[in-house]
Amino acid sequence: MLRSVALALITVVSAGPAPAGARAGSLVALVAAGERSWTTSPDPRDPVACVTCHYDPDETRGWAASFPKYRPLPPPAGRVMTLLQANAEAVQRHYGLTDPEQVALAITAYLTSRGTGVPISPGIVAGQPVFEGRLRALADSVARGERLYASRCRSCHDLGDVTPAALRFPRAVNGQVESLERFLGGHPPGLSPLGWDGQPTADLIVFLISSVGGGPANGSP
Amino acid sequence: MIHTVLSVSFALWLVTQTFPPGADAATVIAGIVRTQSGQPLSGLVLLEKGEIHNNRWDRGTLVDASGRFRIELAEGGQYGLHAYSSGYIYKPNAVKVESDKTLEVEVVLVPEPTRANDPVIKRVEFVTSETRKGKATIRMEVTDPNGDLGPQVLALNAATGRAFAMAPPRWVWTLKSNYPDGVYQLEVDTSKALTDPRDWHFVVADHKCNTTDVLSFPHEPKPPRVIR
Repeated sequence: MLRSVALALITVVSAGPAPAGARAGSLVALVAAGERSWTTSPDPRDPVACVTCHYDPDETRGWAASFPKYRPLPPPAGRVMTLLQANAEAVQRHYGLTDPEQVALAITAYLTSRGTGVPISPGIVAGQPVFEGRLRALADSVARGERLYASRCRSCHDLGDVTPAALRFPRAVNGQVESLERFLGGHPPGLSPLGWDGQPTADLIVFLISSVGGGPANGSP
Repeated sequence: MIHTVLSVSFALWLVTQTFPPGADAATVIAGIVRTQSGQPLSGLVLLEKGEIHNNRWDRGTLVDASGRFRIELAEGGQYGLHAYSSGYIYKPNAVKVESDKTLEVEVVLVPEPTRANDPVIKRVEFVTSETRKGKATIRMEVTDPNGDLGPQVLALNAATGRAFAMAPPRWVWTLKSNYPDGVYQLEVDTSKALTDPRDWHFVVADHKCNTTDVLSFPHEPKPPRVIR
């Protein structure tokens, strides 16, 4: 439900085209940039964009709510990813970007804005088959995330406080847009950073998300 | 006369006892490949057994002119279904097939807006060994203008329904690595697979899903064209 609130917030700020003068670091501008990246390849020699293959709005509407989930990639690259991480892998491969984070963040904001009202369901996409192996990987990720939470977060933060705060990402602060992955990957400053694109960050996030929904991310198909 | 009737009746009874109802139900994946506007597309459908993109190619078949295909499987489970049609971006789908049932799928392909980034099959040759009886080798020269070939250098023997990934010209670190240009090979056990070149079909897709035309007999590549 809290994710739905966050989705609604993004939608409220992103409804309609970006107004003139929107700050470069605002959520409005981020969603608009995400739509541009979704529909237009940065390489004029390669006009294939995300929308070329994923043209059906009904297909993509449930994507944001289905993350984090197991992303099947050629072994051994397949793993549980957040939507940002999955988008980063995709734009790095398809758009040839050496630094995919900003474009991936924008696309993440765009897809999230399009998923308003879709119930959170990590690992499950409506109308798609459920694969037990992927749910097992997700359950393993939740367990790792719980251990990470215990070692890195619990001494300062109560889970009941952290989860609502986590669902307010991506957030814009002082004109800078920040992803949950970037924030958690470097927090707290005294500990070794997890990195925004790594498995541990995905584990931590899937644990937080699963503590909200209590759905399939807990391991029950 | 009575003896004959009794014998036939007994035989029929024996058959019904030996094969209980449903025992002959097949495990099948079938479906249609079409464009966004509903036009049927011919081509290939190839299956990976297990998780999609694991490169464990298993079965395959031709898609006919009406866009239909049907593959009978040895067992149910998870498969990666890949549909290919000349001039279109290939489409991967993770599917789950239940044993003794038919899974019907519909695959929609979108045309490639340019063919300039597609891999290129330059030539195919079938080589039978004089010294290694029962073995034949298929060699296929492949290049990619962007240097991002992947493991999908694929062959289908339509007579046996077997799909294969061809071996790259040199060792590759991971399936996500960029595969080299050069001659890819497939060694065929001629005691198990027919070696009539007419049975063999080829297709190549790179890491960005740019896809060659499906190359069928006589395996003479033609310049690719953009579908309008």
